[in-house]
Parts: sequence; structure tokens; C-alpha cells
Amino acid sequence: RSIKTSSGIQIIINCLALTSLSLTGESPPEKPTIIKCRSPEKETFTCWWKPGSDGGHPTNYTLLYSKEGEQQVYECPDYRTAGPNSCYFDKKHTSFWTIYNITVRATNKMGSNVSDPHYVDVTYIVQPDPPVNVTLELKKPINTKPYLVLSWSPPPLADVRSGWLTLEYELRLKPEEGEEWETVFVGQQTQYKMFSLNPGKKYIVQIHCKPDHHGSWSEWSSEKYIQIPTDFRVKDMVVWIIVGVLSSLICLIMSWTMVLKGYRMIAFILPPVPGPKIKGIDTHLLETGKSEELLSALGCHGFPPTSDCEELLIEYLEVEDSEDQQLMPSHDNGHPSKNAKMIPKEKDSDSGRGSCDSPSVLSEKCRESRALPSTLQTQDVRDVQENKEGKRSWETECIASEQKILLFNNESTKETTWPATQLPDNHPPMFAYHSIVDAHKITMTTTNVNIASFLVGNEEHKSQYSITETVHDDMEKQREMENLHSKTDQTTMQVIKTRPNDKSPFLNPKLMDYVEVHKVRQDKETAVLLKHKENSGKREKYTVPGTSKEYTKVSTVVDHNILVLMPDSRIHHTSVIQEPAMEMSQNLQQGQAEKNMSYCLTVPSECKRETSGSEYMDPSSFMPFK
Amino acid sequence: SRTKTQSTEQCLLLVVLLVSNMLLTKEGVTSLPICPNGSVNCQVSLGELFDRAVKLSHYIHFLSSEIFNEFDERYAQGRGFITKAVNGCHTSSLTTPEDKEQAQQIHHEDLLNLILGVLRSWNDPLIHLASEVQRIKEAPDTILWKAVEIEEQNKRLLEGMEKIVGRVHPGEIGNDAYSQWEGLPSLQLADEDSRLFAFYNLLHCLRRDSHKIDNYLKLLKCRLIHDSNC
Repeated sequence: RSIKTSSGIQIIINCLALTSLSLTGESPPEKPTIIKCRSPEKETFTCWWKPGSDGGHPTNYTLLYSKEGEQQVYECPDYRTAGPNSCYFDKKHTSFWTIYNITVRATNKMGSNVSDPHYVDVTYIVQPDPPVNVTLELKKPINTKPYLVLSWSPPPLADVRSGWLTLEYELRLKPEEGEEWETVFVGQQTQYKMFSLNPGKKYIVQIHCKPDHHGSWSEWSSEKYIQIPTDFRVKDMVVWIIVGVLSSLICLIMSWTMVLKGYRMIAFILPPVPGPKIKGIDTHLLETGKSEELLSALGCHGFPPTSDCEELLIEYLEVEDSEDQQLMPSHDNGHPSKNAKMIPKEKDSDSGRGSCDSPSVLSEKCRESRALPSTLQTQDVRDVQENKEGKRSWETECIASEQKILLFNNESTKETTWPATQLPDNHPPMFAYHSIVDAHKITMTTTNVNIASFLVGNEEHKSQYSITETVHDDMEKQREMENLHSKTDQTTMQVIKTRPNDKSPFLNPKLMDYVEVHKVRQDKETAVLLKHKENSGKREKYTVPGTSKEYTKVSTVVDHNILVLMPDSRIHHTSVIQEPAMEMSQNLQQGQAEKNMSYCLTVPSECKRETSGSEYMDPSSFMPFK
Repeated sequence: SRTKTQSTEQCLLLVVLLVSNMLLTKEGVTSLPICPNGSVNCQVSLGELFDRAVKLSHYIHFLSSEIFNEFDERYAQGRGFITKAVNGCHTSSLTTPEDKEQAQQIHHEDLLNLILGVLRSWNDPLIHLASEVQRIKEAPDTILWKAVEIEEQNKRLLEGMEKIVGRVHPGEIGNDAYSQWEGLPSLQLADEDSRLFAFYNLLHCLRRDSHKIDNYLKLLKCRLIHDSNC
């Protein structure tokens, strides 16, 4: 008990003493703390400490150190160089690969205090100064893009030349307005090439360094501003300017060319579509609808019959599509006068051939065409009108299929006949005209024989076709005309002959006689051999004088499709022989053959001159009036 | 006859080309990386030898620093090993430059010999280090393979240094002085704490000496190859 009380009392006394001391503010200094030791160039080093409270009295600090393996304690050689609370060890006092034991003692009036020992090997505490002499250089090689070269120098105190200290470098850069740095480890070299910087922008660059082993990084060098030159961009601008100028020049040239030769170019690019061309036909004329001009273009002179035609003896042959009607050729011996038909001169023009170019067709066409216009020669107004109408329709239509071609209007009440006009002097009225002689096989069966109803007297039946040949009343000759059957394969055309008794100048179809044209002899005096039909009784043999065969001389061709036969020698011998040099294309074929008649009856001029065998009539020998 | 002369000319030309090629490329046919011992005419230049040596020494010191730091982190925390490590290393008997002035004053041949001595002194310890460190309880693999790697690289550096010495100072027998290491028993102590301290000390010394060698070689390289203008 007594011991306890005595110890307790002692403690209380000590506490009171301490508190009295603290209250007075005096105490030994607090233990200092060594902050760090650094060597800037691996030749010297400095240590800094942090003093504690001084205890109320001025405190003195001493640094003491000892080296590894030595017992000797040394004091800091230099307290000033490095500033307060520091100790600077110069080269002489610096040893490497040696551990220093450094302590700092704080001493004041009341006592002293020693810091904790600090063990340091200078090798590992190197922190160099920042690099210096940061420079920029713009290099412009010949074939490469220009680039920037950033170069610097090691800190001046660091001995890199001897190899005692080896430094590594690192730089960082960012755009002036940017926030994040881009760090690049450079290594031991003291320059750096920068290739991919945006031209025109401003960059900030900093560099720092560190020993190759251990140690720590230096502070960053002062900020270096880089202004990327804008001449990179200028180069691009020049290129773009050149491109723009060239393209504008090209556009100008092209527009100028277009202006000058626009039409030609358009025509070259978009060639005009050729329209259908028919030889001999001028589309413009067709459009205008002037018949006279058209026909003159077609070569049908004098069509429609002009006033000159009045003088002509026109004899029409009416082709009937009736099998019943087989008119026997009447021997009109006393038929001296015949109307000469005007056979328009047919010219061989090449225009407007169309689909009717086949020779076989052509001749038939010609016959038809000749037959048709021949009927138009009339002084009859009505006829003219009809003819005109018929002509028009006839002109513009082609026969393409089998149709009744020569539909004879039996029912026509009107008998339009060609007026019996007196032929000019050269045309004795004795001549009879026959329609086109397709000797044997005209299949006018093509249905499309929309032979225009030029028909004389068929104005009510325009779809009907008739090749009419009016025989003048005065016709003495009796001829047979072949009737063209549209449906049959008969290719015989019957030549309708007007009865000799029929004295009316108008066509009386029922009175007509038909003669079958058998052969055509083509010689100087073209003659047509007329076959005798069933009514053989009435047939007569027409013989050309001088020939053994029964030929009837064709004196002239009217309207391209009407043969003007010479009157029977027995009947009447006309001395006047018309030899119109006319072109007439006739297809006189012997034998039967079906023909697909596809022809245009519109164009007599389509009828080409056939230069075929002797069986064909040479229309060139026929020449109406010229 | 004309073709004959042409063909003979071609043959002669071919022969001349072949012979000249043989003669000219005789030296450059083989380029051995390491010259045989004692050969005077070697292909590899001294600069190249120094470059290789520096690279090796740099690598060895790097590995040594790493292994020390790992060991220190794992085994030496709180044990105060550093305070005891002031006893020194087995190579302290070799007087080596302690600062820059001393290093610059020493003759390059002496310095080379010194380097050789240090390297030779570490032959034995490194072998045992590699074997003994495996016995440490739960030794990380990184420590293990680093120890093995250091030992291998040290051998190569020693060979290179011997070649350099043969080039720089041919004919002279180098100073074979080296320090004998006698720390093996300490690595095999039963006391774990003592044993770990022994490893710590050994690794500490290794780090130091490898740094020394690296520094000396860089000094020599700058002095001998670059004429003190690195």
C-alpha cells in the first residue's frame, strides 16, 4: 500500500511538472523529419528536412550522417547552399553505391531531438533538371510532305557526354485550346519528328527527362508554342483553284459548241425517224390533198381528165364480178367509132413503190390502175365527181388481200359512162378500148381490192370496184372482156365489151362483151389475142392482118390499163394506129397462178414497164397523146 | 570463227567474274556474331561489342532491380532489413570507383578488368540464388524466373566482356582477381528470418553491382567508342 501510494504521488508530481513546463512553453524541439534527398546530376545531392515545433526556443538543427561500412559520423558540410533546412553534399562528399545514414538533430535550450534515420543511396535519388534549348525546325524535303523537327538539349548540369549519366526523354503536346496532353516517350534521343499536325493550328509542347535507371522525372520544360505553317493549305488551295478554272473553261467550250452546232449535234444524237417513203409519192402533196399536183407528181399527166380529154374517145370497159354475165363478144363490125380512151401517159417514176413492187403485182396493179383512172375521163360532172372520189379512195388504198376486186356494180342504176368523146385526130373513133388486159391470171381476188370506186356510175357503191370501160356506142367491135372474179381463181379477165347495139355513150355493163385475152403479142404492133369464150358463136376471130393467129392489135393504151384494140380488120380497118409510147406495165402471164394481189391502185405510175417476154405487152409502144 | 571467238570471250569473262567474286567476297562470306577466342581479325567491331555489352548490362540491372523490389515488397516489410544491410557485399573487397571522378580517372583497361572481376564474382552466387530461391516458401514465379534469367545473362555478359578485353588489350592476361562468395550457408539457414535476410542482402548486392557494371560500361563505351561525346 505504501509503495502504491508513493508511486502514485510521484506520477502526479511528474505530471504537474510537465504541465508546468508546457504551460510555460518551453520544451525540447520536436523531432524533425527528413523530407527528401535529391541529386540533380548524379554528382551532388541535397537533403531537406522538416523541422518540428521548436519547443518555444530557437532550435538548432544539425544533420549527421554516416556511410555504409564506416563508423564515422559526419556532419552536413553545407547547410546554406540549398536553403534553409537543407544540407548540400558536394561532389567530394557524395559517394555512390553507398548507403548514407542521415539523421537530423534539433536542439534547443531545453533539449534536442533526433529525427529518424534516413537511409539513402544516391544512385537511386537522381532527379535531373528539365531539358533546355527546345527548338523547332520545319523541314521540307523534295518528294515528301514537310514535317516539324523538335530538338532540345539535356540539362546543363547533367554529364551525358561522358556517359556517367544517361537520360531518357519524354514530351507532351496538345493543341492550344485542347485539354488533354498527348505524351510521347522519346528515349535517349534529343530530337523528335512530328508529321501529323493540323496545319494552321497552334500547339503547346513540353519535355522532361529521367535517368535511365531509377531516379525520377524532371520537371516539365517551359511551354513551347508551335504554329503550324499554313502554306500546306495554300498548296491545296492552288490545286483547287486550278481545277475550278479548268472545269469552267471546259463548260464554256462545250456550251459554245452547243450553241454553234446545236442542231447538228441534236440531229447526230437523236436522228430523225424516217417516215415511210413511197416512191413517187410526196407525202406533203398527199396531205394537201390536191389531186392535180399529186397526180402530176405521180406522173399521171392529165389526170383527172382535163378539158383536153373531152376530145378523146373514151371507151370504158366494165368489169363485172358476175359469173353470169358472160357477155359474148359482139361483133360490132359496124362500130367504127370508138371512143378512144385517154390513156394517161404513164411515166415510170420511182417514187412511191410501196408494197406493190412485185412485178407480177405491178402489172396487175397497173392494169387496175389504168383501168381506174381511165374511167375518170369524163366530161360528166357527175363522173368527174365520182371519179374524183373514186380516185381518191383508189389512190390511197392498197390492195392487200383477197377481195373482190372488180365488183361490178350491176345494180348501179346510173350508167356512168365516159362520154363518148371524139378522139383527137389521131384517134379515130373506131378504136375500142379495153381495160387492162391481164391476159390470164389476174387474180384480182385480193380482197382488199378497195379499188377506189372511181366507178363511173358507181357512186353509190364505192366499195365496189369496177373497171369499166365504156365502149362507145359506136363501137362496132365486140370484144370480150374478162371478168375478174374476186373469189375465184380464175385469172381470166374478161373484157367487157359493149354491145354494139348499145348506142348510149354510157356504159351499159350488161351489154358489154367480154373477151378473154389469151395472148399478147408484143411486137411493133402489139396485139392482143382474145380468147373466145363460151359463146363461141359470137366470137369472131380477130386476126391481125398478116398473122395466122388471132390477134387483135392493140392500138393504144388508155389510162394505163385500157387497151385500145384495133378494130377488127374485117370490120374496119383503121389506118390510124395509135402507138402511144406509153409505159405500161402489164403482167400478162399465161397459165394460171394465184396471185395475191397486193397492189396499190392508186398509182399508175407504179406500174413499171415490164420488160418481159414476148408475151407481155410492151407498153412503151403505146403512147396516148404525146 | 566469229562465233567461236565470241564464245571464248564469254567463257573468259565468266571465269574472271567467278574468280573475282571469290576473291572479293572471301572475307564477307561468313559473318559470325562472336569471334573465336584469340582471333585477332574479327568481323564484329568493338563498337558493336560494346553495344551488346551495354544492352546486356542494362538488362541485367533492370532484372535485378525488379527482383529486389518484389522481394522487398513481399518478404522484407517491417523487418528492418535495410538497417542490417550495411554490412556490405562480398564484392566490396574489390576497389571500384565510387564516383564520377574516380571512374574517369581509372584507366580503361583497369576498369575492364574490374568489370570482369565483378562479373566473375557473381557467377557462383547467381547459380545458387536461382536454385535456393525456389526453396523460399511460396516464392512467386516472377522471382523465380528472374533469378534464372539473371544468371543466364550474366554468363553471356561475361563472355562478351572477355572478348572486349581480348580486343582492347590483346595478349595480356587479365587480372583474374575476383571475390569469392561464401554466403551459401546463410541462404540455407533454418531460421526463416535469417534466411530471408540473407536473400535480401544478396539481392541488394546484386542490384548494386549490376548497376555499377552498367555504369562502367556506359562510361567506357562513351570514352572509347564515342570519344567522350555521347
